[in-house]
Amino acid sequence: MDAWIALALIIGLLAILGAGVWIGVGILGLAWLAMELFTQRPAGDAMALTVWGSLSSWTLTALPLFIWMGEILLKSRLSEGMFRGLAPWLQWLPGRLLHTNIIGCTIFAAVPGSSAATCATIGKITLPELAKRGYPETIAIGSLAGAGTLGLLIPPSIIMIVYGVAADVSIGKLFIAGVIPGLLLAGLFMAWTVGWSLVNARSIPPADIRLSFAGKLAESRHLIPVVLLIAAVLGSIYGGVATATEAAAVGVVGAIVLAAAQGTLSWRALRESLMAATRLYCMIALILAGSAFLSLAMGFIGLPRHLAETIGELGLSPLALIALLTVFYIVLGCFLDGISMVVLTMAVLIPTLEVAGIDLLWFGIFVVLVVEMAQITPPVGFNLFVMQAMTRREIGFIARAAFPYFLMMVVAVMLIYAFPGLVTWLPGKML
Amino acid sequence: MSKALDAFFAGLAGLGAAALVAMLGIQLAAIVGRYAGWTIEGHDAYAGYLLAASAFLALAYTLRHGDHIRVTLLISRLTGQRRHWVEIFDLLVASAISLYFAWFATRLAWGSWRFDDISQNVDATPLWIPQAAMALGVIGLALAYLEELVRAVRRGEMPPEDATEIARTE
Repeated sequence: MDAWIALALIIGLLAILGAGVWIGVGILGLAWLAMELFTQRPAGDAMALTVWGSLSSWTLTALPLFIWMGEILLKSRLSEGMFRGLAPWLQWLPGRLLHTNIIGCTIFAAVPGSSAATCATIGKITLPELAKRGYPETIAIGSLAGAGTLGLLIPPSIIMIVYGVAADVSIGKLFIAGVIPGLLLAGLFMAWTVGWSLVNARSIPPADIRLSFAGKLAESRHLIPVVLLIAAVLGSIYGGVATATEAAAVGVVGAIVLAAAQGTLSWRALRESLMAATRLYCMIALILAGSAFLSLAMGFIGLPRHLAETIGELGLSPLALIALLTVFYIVLGCFLDGISMVVLTMAVLIPTLEVAGIDLLWFGIFVVLVVEMAQITPPVGFNLFVMQAMTRREIGFIARAAFPYFLMMVVAVMLIYAFPGLVTWLPGKML
Repeated sequence: MSKALDAFFAGLAGLGAAALVAMLGIQLAAIVGRYAGWTIEGHDAYAGYLLAASAFLALAYTLRHGDHIRVTLLISRLTGQRRHWVEIFDLLVASAISLYFAWFATRLAWGSWRFDDISQNVDATPLWIPQAAMALGVIGLALAYLEELVRAVRRGEMPPEDATEIARTE
C-alpha cells in the first residue's frame, strides 16, 4: 500500500512540476492532494497554519539578509579587482592564470551564496582575459564551470540555510562545516589544472611581466575588503560571537560600508539590491512554504517512517545508501533545481538517515556537494546554462570540458565519506 | 485593470521590502543592545513576523517579474497552440491552488482576530496582525495568477518569465 502511495505521489509530482506549474504552488497543491486522499485531516487549515509557522520562524531570518548582502556586493566593483589582484600571484604555478578561475570563485563564492552567480561574475572577467592571452578554451571553460559550483559549498550559502531549516540542523555549524570541504575541492580542482598543464605545457602561454612583491600587493588591495568582510562573517559565527542570523545582519551593514567606500553605492543601487533580494527571497519562501506543508502531509501519511523501515529491512550498508542517494540526486538534478531537490527529499529522508546512523550535519555537506555535481551534468545544469549564455558554445562541449572537474567532485565525495572528520572536525571546535 | 493591479502589487512589494529593512533594524538593535545592556522584549518574534510579511507581500510582484521558478524542460520545447494549452493548464492549476491558499490564510487571520489569539512568546502580539499580511499577500498572488489566466485565455499571452533569474539561487 505504502509503495503505491509513494509511487502515486512521485508520479503526481513529476506530472505537476514537469508540466511547468510554478514549483512553490505545485508542491503546495501536491501536499494538499496527499492530505485529501490519504488522511482525514482538514487540509486547508493545516496548510495555512503550517506555512505561517514555518515562514515566520527566527532561524530563517538569515536567508533574506545574506541574499541582500550578496546583491549589494554583486553591484559593486569587486569582481573587476579580482582578476588583477590574483593574476600576479599565480604566474609561477603550472596553468598560471587558469587558477584565477578557481581561486577567484573560491573567494567570490562567499559573496552571492549561489554558484551560477559566482560562475557568471567571475567568468565575465576571466574568460575574455584568458582568451586574449591565448589559453586553451576547453580548460578555461572547464575550470570555470567546475569552480563556479563552489558557490554552494563556501559559506554563506543559500542552499545550506534551506537545508538547515528543512533538516533542523544549526546553520552556523553547516557554514563552518562547509569550509574545509570547500577548500579541499578547490585544491582538487587546482591539482587537476596543474596536472593538465604539465601534460599540455606547450599550450599554456608564457608568464606576463612580473611584478615586485609590493606591486603585487598593490594590485591585490581590491581584494582585501571582501576578504575581511567574509572573515568577519565566518569568524564571528565560528568564535561564537554571533549567530548565523546576526552575522547576516552584520554582513549587510558591512556590504553597504564596502560599497560606499568604493563609491558604487547610490540610493538607486541600494533600492534595486533590496528589491532584487526581496524577489529572490520571496521565490525561495514559496518553495519553503510548499515543502513545510508537504513534510506535514508526509508525516500524517507516515510515509517517511515506512520508507525508513523498508530501507532498514533491506539492510543496506551506509556506503550503499550514500552511493544510491548520489545517483538519485544527480538524476533528480536533471530537471529540478537544488533548493527544490533539498526540500522535497528532506521531507521524506530524515527518518531513513537516522535509522542508517548518518549524521545530519555531514549529510548536509554531502547533499550540497552532490547538488553541485548536478549543476554541471547535462541536460539541466544551471552552471552549464550560464556558461552557454556566456561563451555561445554548445552545452555538450561545455559539459565535456567540465567533466574532469565533475570527477574531482566524485573524489571529494569519496574523501568526505572516508574521512567524515573533514566535515565534522571544524564545527566541533566551535565555541 | 492591469495597471491598477500592477500598482497594487508594487505597493504590496514595497511594504514587503520595508518589512525586510525593519527586520534588519531589529536584528541590529538586538546586537547593539546585547553589548549596551538593554534588550528588546520578543525581538525574535517581531523579526519572524516581518520576515513572513516580506515573503508573502512580495509574492504577486515576484510573479509579475517572472521570478517564481518552474521546470521549463517541457514548455520550452513546445510552440504555438500546444504551448498555449499547457500554459493555460499551468495557470489554471496555480490559480486554483493560490485561491484555496488565500481562502484559508484569510480564515487563519480572521480566526485569530475573532478568538483574540495572542502570541505565546513574550511579545504577546495579537496574531491577526502579522497573519493579515500573509492573507493579503496570498490574495495578491491569487489575483496575479487569475489575471495571467484571463490574459492567456483572451489574447494568448504567455506568463512572464525571466530565464536568467532562476540561475541566481543555484
